[in-house]
Amino acid sequence: MTGATPAPLPAAAAALWLDGVGVRLGQVDALRDVSLALDARTIAVVGENGSGKSTFARLLAGLVAPATGVTRILGLDPVRQATELRRRVAVVFSNPDAQIVMPTVAEDVAFSLRPERLSREELRRRVDAALERFGLSDLRERSSHDLSGGQKQLLALAGAFVREPELVVADEPTTYLDARNARRVSDHLLADAGHRLVLVTHDLALAERCETAVLFAGGRVEAVGRPAEVIAEYEAALAC
Amino acid sequence: MLSLYRPGAGLLHRLPAGPKLLLLLAVVLAVSLLPSTWWAAAVAAGAAIVAYAVAGLRDGMLGMRELGRQVVALRWLIVVTIAAQLIFLGPEQAVSNTARVTAAVVLAGLLVLTTRVSDLLDAVERGLRPLDRLRFDSERAAVLLTVALTTVPVLGRLAGEVREAQRARGARPGLRFFAVPFLILSLKHADQLGEALSARGVR
Repeated sequence: MTGATPAPLPAAAAALWLDGVGVRLGQVDALRDVSLALDARTIAVVGENGSGKSTFARLLAGLVAPATGVTRILGLDPVRQATELRRRVAVVFSNPDAQIVMPTVAEDVAFSLRPERLSREELRRRVDAALERFGLSDLRERSSHDLSGGQKQLLALAGAFVREPELVVADEPTTYLDARNARRVSDHLLADAGHRLVLVTHDLALAERCETAVLFAGGRVEAVGRPAEVIAEYEAALAC
Repeated sequence: MLSLYRPGAGLLHRLPAGPKLLLLLAVVLAVSLLPSTWWAAAVAAGAAIVAYAVAGLRDGMLGMRELGRQVVALRWLIVVTIAAQLIFLGPEQAVSNTARVTAAVVLAGLLVLTTRVSDLLDAVERGLRPLDRLRFDSERAAVLLTVALTTVPVLGRLAGEVREAQRARGARPGLRFFAVPFLILSLKHADQLGEALSARGVR
């Protein structure tokens, strides 16, 4: 691990706390002995394909279960408190097509609020606010799948943020987007709106905009610290 | 994506999804049970015309443009049904049976034309809720139905992508070379959608 590694925080203090965590997917050890204590508001996760970044993101969202170690996300155990965790954590994936469930824009955003059983008025208010925030108000009755790639990813963000999550996990959210839409999506994610962000990305310039970065390699954490230092270490490894 | 809903403020739009589902079910059943006679064909066609006229679909032709669109969409079903029955049953039964089937399908179509999928989802969930006492999960069943409904066009798009990829690589069209990549893409989409649903709080 790099010298930039921060001093470990106790489990109760760190938003993301992992101690000796391993995740096995089929016959593959996707994560091995991961120990982290992170409390930054924005955290970039970088590394090569197959390094364990996406598995780490899914672990934070309670979508995969750890095989070993102790995990606390926002103070919650992702296995025993999975329902509560999913209420407080939202996920944005790279492929917006696979995140759309409902036929129209407004209905798709409202779908995220189904578990909350809100009144019609409250539902409408929250959906309207989310559509307004992501510039989708004029498209509310449009077919979700007829949107452009950038609009679809903004819809995915609206569906995630309408739940007012404490933590947003974004797994390569700008992969399929052009420069302008990638900028819009990343600006929304990085804006301080009362949420924490874990951003898995191959875009090192975007990673530099975060407060902290984590470098994964071979399912292990190779470096944690200030983005510039972690990225320098990553680039040095790439040059080898 | 299946987006058949047409915004409007007509009688059917104002009716709640549950009662509307039952009403249309009753009308479809009544049309289906008509005898195979010339007058039954006229009644079936009349029922469809009246239903579309009062639906308030705002198509500028009192619902007839939309009705025409629906019938055109069923053209192959109509051709196959009438052709087969003309050979074996004669003109009266062929025309009557085809008219009843067509009317039943276009009447059922009024449900999705005048109801948002989210309202349908709520109605199905409410309707199935009494079964929860028998350890049935009404919420999951309603989401499953909705996802199935809205995934059909996505599968159509995936099939188009596979065909395009085949053409781009100069492969001849064939079921064997189509089925495997299409199945893999569909399963991958199902995995991703399942994760996205879990991430959005669906159990």
